[in-house]
Amino acid sequence: MIVFVFLALLQLKVPDAQQLVGAPAGKKLAGAELDQKTMELSQILRCPVCQGLSISDSPSIMAANMRDQVRDLLVQGYSQEQVLKYFEQSYGQFVLLKPKFQGVNTFVWLLPLGALLIGLAITLVKMNKLDAAPAAPAPEAPADDPYVARVRELVEK
Amino acid sequence: MNKTVLAIGILITAALVAVFFLVMGKDPGHIDSPLIGRPAPTFTLRAVGSGQPLNLEQLRGKPVVINFWATWCMPCYQEHPVLVQNARMLGDNVQFVGVVFNDTEDKIQQFLNARGSAYPTVIDEAGKTAIAYGVGGVPETFFVDKAGKIVAKYEGPMDGDTLQSYVAKVMQ
Repeated sequence: MIVFVFLALLQLKVPDAQQLVGAPAGKKLAGAELDQKTMELSQILRCPVCQGLSISDSPSIMAANMRDQVRDLLVQGYSQEQVLKYFEQSYGQFVLLKPKFQGVNTFVWLLPLGALLIGLAITLVKMNKLDAAPAAPAPEAPADDPYVARVRELVEK
Repeated sequence: MNKTVLAIGILITAALVAVFFLVMGKDPGHIDSPLIGRPAPTFTLRAVGSGQPLNLEQLRGKPVVINFWATWCMPCYQEHPVLVQNARMLGDNVQFVGVVFNDTEDKIQQFLNARGSAYPTVIDEAGKTAIAYGVGGVPETFFVDKAGKIVAKYEGPMDGDTLQSYVAKVMQ
């Protein structure tokens, strides 16, 4: 019976990362370096069952499974790019907390820059207009203004 | 007001309103699966009860309905009878497979004993198969055609009509 169970267990196989991202292209990580890299990647992968949380910050079981998967892939020698691609192949770009500079995502990167440039352009145009406009001459008070005459009289005393 | 500034203001407002209407009405929890149209990730997992390994590749040649579920998932209770009834009705024409993750075999067996079973249920021990399929929550169901390609994905519990309309897609 034990042999039968053991043989059955040997046949078990979860989906192979190599199918999705090719052979491992990095070095096999271990120890502190593995912990550090697992943490780094977990901070940029989105938890699919949470609201805007990374798998590093989420207490959900799904996030824990994903963190374990990140760790396993790094142990096997998959590079950072391959690990991110692995999750992207399953969940799409949704899983990346930092969107890629491609397709519709390009707007996410370019819109703030565009808004800044438009703001700068408006400011510069306004400043140029102010510089180009001739300074208005100070209005002269009429010589026979009794109010001005009285002020002059008081000042000259 | 300066006409240029007014035009820019209108343009930005129009863009924001357009984005708002595009996003509004979409389920924020919905994830468009990049797996649609691609080969279903293969797996060999242990079947509940028999302990026998079930290999997805061995099912190639007939449509497969892969249902991810768990005993702690309340909507799965609602969906289970629909799956069992349709699996019995479709017989050998379509193979149903239940994949349970983050659960224990005892609880799964109790669930199946109490609510019936008409197809193999396998255990995804560390949720790795669920991750490879991009599962965000349970229940989630994938429809795989005869060639082993994922044709559609459904998130949430299905009623009979929904299930049959999706099965029709893989039967074509």
